Amino acid sequence: MIKIVKRDQPSRAIFFFTPVLAIFLTLVAGGLIFFILGFKPFEALKFFFIVPIADKYGFSELLLKATPLCLIAIGLSFCFKSNNWNIGAEGQLTFGAIVSGGVALLFYEQEGFYILPIVILAGAIGGMLYASIPAILKTYFNTNEILVSLMLVYVSKLILDYLVVGPWSNPEGFNFPETRQFSDSAKLPLLFEGLRIHAGIFLALAAVVISWFVFYKTYLGFQMKVSGFSLKTARYAGYKGKKMIILVFLISGACAGLAGVGEITGPIGQLHREISPDYGFTAIIVAFLGRLHPVGIIFASLVVAITYLGAETAQIFMQIPKYTGQVFQGMILFFLLASDYLLFFKIKFIGSKK
Amino acid sequence: MSTNLKISNVTKIYPGCVANDNVSLEFNSGKIYALLGENGAGKSTLVKILSGVIIPDEGEIYLNKNNLKLNSPLDAKKNDIGMVFQHFNLFETLSVFENLIIDSDEQRESLREKIDSIMKKYNFSIDLDIPVLNLSAGQKQKVEIIRCLIRNPKVLIMDEPTSVLTEQETSELFLSLKKFSEEGILIIYITHKLKEVMQLCDEVAVMRRGKLISVSEIKNENIESLANKMVGQNLKTIKKKKAKTSSDQLIKITNLNFSSEDPFETNLIDINFSVNRGECLGIAGISGNGQSELFQVLSGEIISEKNSIEFNNNYIGDLSPQERREYLMAFSPEDRLEQAAIPQMKIFENVALNNFKSSNFFNNGLINENKIKEHSKKIISDFNVNTDNIELKSQFLSGGNLQKLIIGRELITSPDLLICFNPTWGLDVGAINYIHETLIKINEQNKSIILISTDTDELLKLSDKISVIHKGKLSKIMNAEEVTSEKLGILMGGAN
Repeated sequence: MIKIVKRDQPSRAIFFFTPVLAIFLTLVAGGLIFFILGFKPFEALKFFFIVPIADKYGFSELLLKATPLCLIAIGLSFCFKSNNWNIGAEGQLTFGAIVSGGVALLFYEQEGFYILPIVILAGAIGGMLYASIPAILKTYFNTNEILVSLMLVYVSKLILDYLVVGPWSNPEGFNFPETRQFSDSAKLPLLFEGLRIHAGIFLALAAVVISWFVFYKTYLGFQMKVSGFSLKTARYAGYKGKKMIILVFLISGACAGLAGVGEITGPIGQLHREISPDYGFTAIIVAFLGRLHPVGIIFASLVVAITYLGAETAQIFMQIPKYTGQVFQGMILFFLLASDYLLFFKIKFIGSKK
Repeated sequence: MSTNLKISNVTKIYPGCVANDNVSLEFNSGKIYALLGENGAGKSTLVKILSGVIIPDEGEIYLNKNNLKLNSPLDAKKNDIGMVFQHFNLFETLSVFENLIIDSDEQRESLREKIDSIMKKYNFSIDLDIPVLNLSAGQKQKVEIIRCLIRNPKVLIMDEPTSVLTEQETSELFLSLKKFSEEGILIIYITHKLKEVMQLCDEVAVMRRGKLISVSEIKNENIESLANKMVGQNLKTIKKKKAKTSSDQLIKITNLNFSSEDPFETNLIDINFSVNRGECLGIAGISGNGQSELFQVLSGEIISEKNSIEFNNNYIGDLSPQERREYLMAFSPEDRLEQAAIPQMKIFENVALNNFKSSNFFNNGLINENKIKEHSKKIISDFNVNTDNIELKSQFLSGGNLQKLIIGRELITSPDLLICFNPTWGLDVGAINYIHETLIKINEQNKSIILISTDTDELLKLSDKISVIHKGKLSKIMNAEEVTSEKLGILMGGAN
C-alpha cells in the first residue's frame, strides 16, 4: 500500500533532486508524445537533445542561447528570492535593446573602443528604467507587479515595432522592418572564428559570480534575504523594505537589459522586430529549475537552451514545428512544480501483511 | 419545553498550551449565561467545540441527555445549536435575503414569510433586498442572528458580540437576547466585558488559562469580584524588590498620536508617559487595544513626530529602529516566529538582525561571519539557550529557547531601555521564570524596561508602575503597590 506522509521539514536532498527528476519526467513524457505522433521515441529524443550539440558549432549555439537565459534568470533570482514577482523580463530585455540599439545607431559608421561600453551601459540602464515602472507602482501605489510587468512587455514590443518600421528603419533597407547594421565598434567581439558565440557570455558569467557574492557575502544581500522571508522582520530590524524592492527590480531589469544588448550587438547586429524568442519568459523557468541559486541557474540555462536548439533540429529533420521546444519548456516547469510536492511530503510503501 | 446543555470533562490541547483543561459546565434554558475570561483563557475554544468547529481531545457534550458528536458546524446546526461569531460570516456582495437562504433547503417563498415574521416579532427592520455591504455592523449582526433563528435553535451562542457595536446597538441587542431567553432559547454569552455581564446575564462561568474557575449567580457577584476571578489573584510573594526610586528620567513620550488607514489597527490617542532609569513600566490591556501599534511606534517601525519621543535627552520620534538601537534601545516583539526571528535562517544569522555599528557584524558592506558567530556563541552561553550549534535553523529551537535567544540578542549589547511585548507568551513555566529573572536583573542594573503584556500576573510581578491601554488610550500611570488585579481588570474592561 502506498501512503503519503507530510515531512517534518523540507528535505535538502530532495531540494536538489527534484529538478533532475523533472528533467527525467520531461524526457519520458516527451518520448511518449513523439511516439503518439508516430516517431521512434529514442531517435526523436536523440534528434532533440543530442544531435544539436554534437559538434563544436552546435555547442557554440548552445552557449549562445544559454547566455541570455542565464543572465536574465540571475536577475530574476534577486526578485523571486525576495517575493517580488517580476515576470516582465521580456519587456525589460526589449527596452534595454531599444535604448542600447538607439545609442549604437548614433555611432553609426564611427569607430572607437569607447563605443561598445557605452552601448552596453545604455542597455543596462534601459532595462533598469523599464523595471523601475512596476517597482515604483508597487511600492508607492500598491499595484500588482505581476500584471504591470507583464503588460509592459507588450508595450515595449510595440515601441520596438514602431521604431523599426518608422523613424529608425534603414533608409537603404527597402522598407524592411529593421534598422541599419551597427558598426563593428558597437558589436560584441566573437570568441572564435566561424562560430557565433560572442563575448556576451562573459557578462553572464560575471553576473553569476556577482550575484553569488552579493547574496552570500554582503550586508545588502543579507537585507534582501531577510526582506524576502519577512517584511515584518525587515521593518523590525530597521531595513528599508521599499528601497529593497526597488533595488531588486533594478538589478533584474539591468540583467534583462544586458541580455537584450547581447542579442542585438552579438548575433543580430541590428534592431528588428523579433530580437528575442521569448528569452525573458523562458528565463522564469530557468530561474526556478536552477533553484534560484547561481550555480543551479548555469546548469538550468544549458538544459533549457537545448530545447531551443532541439526544436530547430526537429523541425529540419523530422518536419515537426519548432514550437515543440515550448512544449518541452512547459513540461519542465510543470514537472518541476509537480515534483516539488516531494519537498513537503514523502511517499511511504507499506507492505501489506497476509 | 426546556433545554439542558451539558459539557462534561472537555479537554483540548494545542502544542505548548492546554486550551481547555477538563472543563465541565451545565446550562439550562430560561437563563442567560456569561462565559467570562481574558484573551487566551479558553472560552473561544470551548464555544468552537460547542459549535463543531473544533473537535475536543476528550470529553462529551450532551443536549437534553443526548450525547452529541459534533464533527462539523453542520452537526451543530442539525442539533439546534446556533452560533454568532465575533467576525461576521456574510457574503458582502449578496443581498440580505440571499445570505439568509444560502444554507437552507426550504422553499424561497415560505422562507421569506418566515423571515418576515421573525423580523416583525423582534422588531428588526432590515431591507432584505439590499447587499450586505450597505448594512451597519449592528444590522449585519442581526442578519447573523436571523440566520440562526430560521432554524429554531435551542441554544444560541454569541461570541463577543458587542465588540463591533455602538452603545445604542448594544442595548438593542440586549433587549433581543432577553426576549429570546424568555421564549426558551438557551443563551450563552461570551465576553471579557464585566459591565455587560452584570447588565445582561443571570449566571456567570469564569475561565482562566484553560480552566473553569467558578460558576456563580450574578446576584452574588460584583464587578470587582468578577475582575478578581478573571485576572487571578496576583502572587505578591514573588514580586521583585522595589527598585531604588530614581528620578533620572530616561524616556518621555509626549502627546503621541497614531492614526492608521488600516481598519484592523487601533489608533493611538494622545499617549503620555515617562520612565525613569531602573524602572519597569508595565502596560496592561486586553489584546487588540493598541498594544501592537504602541510597540511599533516605540521601536520605530512606525515613525512619529520627532519631539513626541525623548530618549536620554535626544528627540528620536522620527528615527528608524536601526538608528534607535544606536541610542541604546532594544526591542523584543510579540511575534517570535514572524517578526523577532526568521525560522528558516540559522541561529547566527538571526543574531545579526540586531546590528550595531560597534558590533562590526558588517564591515564595508561585507558580512563578517566570524564576528557574528563569536557573538552568537556568547549569547547562547550567557542566556542559557539550550543548543551548541549556531548553524542550526532557528525553527528547531523550542519557543523558550528562541525567546532566550531573542532577549539575549537584545540585551547582550547592554541597552539602557528594553521594550518587550508579551515576552513569555506561550512559554512553559521554566522559560517564563528565566525570562522574568532576567528582566528583574536588568532593572537591578539600573536599566529600564517597558513591558507591554496581556498577562496581568506578569505585570504585577515585574512592574514598578502600571498603566492600562484601552482602545488606544492609556490610563493614568499608577504605582504598582497601589494596583490590584481587580482594579486592572476593571480598567482593562474600559470602565473608570
